Amino acid sequence: MATPTNPSTNPGPLALIAEITHRCPLHCVYCSNPLELTARERELSTAAWIGVFEQGAKLGVMQLDLTGGEPLARPDLVELVRASRKNGLYVNLITSGIGLSADRLAELVDAGLDHLQLSFQDAEAGPADEFAGLTAHGKKLAIAREIAKHRIGFTVNLVVHRRNVRRLEEMLAMAEGLGAQRIEVAHVQYYGWAVPNRGELLPTREQVEWSLDVLARAQERLRGRIRLEYVTPDYYARFPKACMGGWGQKLMLIDPAGFALPCHAARVIPGLQFENVGMRGLEWIWSESESFNKYRGEEWMEEPCRSCDRRAVDFGGCRCQAQMLAGDAAATDPVCSLSPLRAKVDATVAEAVRGGRVSEAGGAGEFVPVAEVAEARWSYRLNPR
Amino acid sequence: MRPSAESKPHLAPGCRLSEMPNQEATLMMPEGALKLKGPGLQILRSCDGNHTFQQIVDALYKQYQQANLQKIEQDTATFLEQLQERRALDF
Repeated sequence: MATPTNPSTNPGPLALIAEITHRCPLHCVYCSNPLELTARERELSTAAWIGVFEQGAKLGVMQLDLTGGEPLARPDLVELVRASRKNGLYVNLITSGIGLSADRLAELVDAGLDHLQLSFQDAEAGPADEFAGLTAHGKKLAIAREIAKHRIGFTVNLVVHRRNVRRLEEMLAMAEGLGAQRIEVAHVQYYGWAVPNRGELLPTREQVEWSLDVLARAQERLRGRIRLEYVTPDYYARFPKACMGGWGQKLMLIDPAGFALPCHAARVIPGLQFENVGMRGLEWIWSESESFNKYRGEEWMEEPCRSCDRRAVDFGGCRCQAQMLAGDAAATDPVCSLSPLRAKVDATVAEAVRGGRVSEAGGAGEFVPVAEVAEARWSYRLNPR
Repeated sequence: MRPSAESKPHLAPGCRLSEMPNQEATLMMPEGALKLKGPGLQILRSCDGNHTFQQIVDALYKQYQQANLQKIEQDTATFLEQLQERRALDF
């Protein structure tokens, strides 16, 4: 049931995530884009995107994430950055760096880019390029050196999973040398293209615990020099993540064709209609649309969430994960230890990492699952037309 | 890192103070935004690389006469230290 909302009591979104294209030269095996990608000819025009940013700023948006796909695939990116900044937005660019020349970077900085997040797949070129499906690692290192020359915020993002987590310390050492103020370590989340690759990517509990220990020590060592941030992967957590800070509470995502989504993965929820910015204003979509109201507040909650003390902390977890794992988007996120379906998650994890054996190699808790040694069978993300 | 009397705090790359009409002053950072008012805002306005920590504290003390100087010093140092650790400030 939709919760009645009133624009005066329901503040606007704080951040806008603009997936300006789904095109990308990389084919990352854990890409968060939906399996059904938006074709180039359906992408919003420059003017339409600028209109979205203007409306967002009026609605109270402070931060804009320009992401994709690879946002650099849009030839009008400099223009989009300039227009966003002119509207008072704080402009983040989330990029692989592929397609970023020194000249284009200087133009983006000149246009008002505030912050750039550059992702890495590994510390070693071989596996990094395998996970990305492209020879990209060396180019990323080169572009990182260019980024560090500019006075903008710079975050290095490291994506970890079963097949690279034992090189976490090497990855951190690499990131430390790139001149970033921030390092973000992201255990893969199981949405988009990571779902068909889940069996290859899910880490073991030992790996996760070892990684959290490494990260806690690195955070202490880097204090005051580099801000290190990370989150516990929720398949191994006791309680679910406060997904998107609550449905329709803080964030609005616009996909390449202009559809407004409460989160990246919302399309996995059947029967939910999404509004397009070509038909409706952002303010109406945020406060009035069925999709943004569907899981807002607490009215929709089922037990055990409905009477749980944590319902205002994690909002019942992730609706898309509930859909994917429980087949019901209104269920308690099955990763929650209070969910009746938690055993199913444990079984999924156990199946994915079955075949673990003690290794003499040491490293990640001296436990290397056989699946890590065996060759992976990846589903690579495609490039839309 | 705790500032010394001679530290000259300034905003780190990727951070800026936004003061728009009809809006609360906000420190914009890569990881989010911090709404500012009162002494917090006043301190951030002085984080321009020209003012020393000592000068920032002295200015606050002048304005808040009834407050304890040592407490102003400690609170300001803690505030700056926290922002430095978030990599929002350099000094």
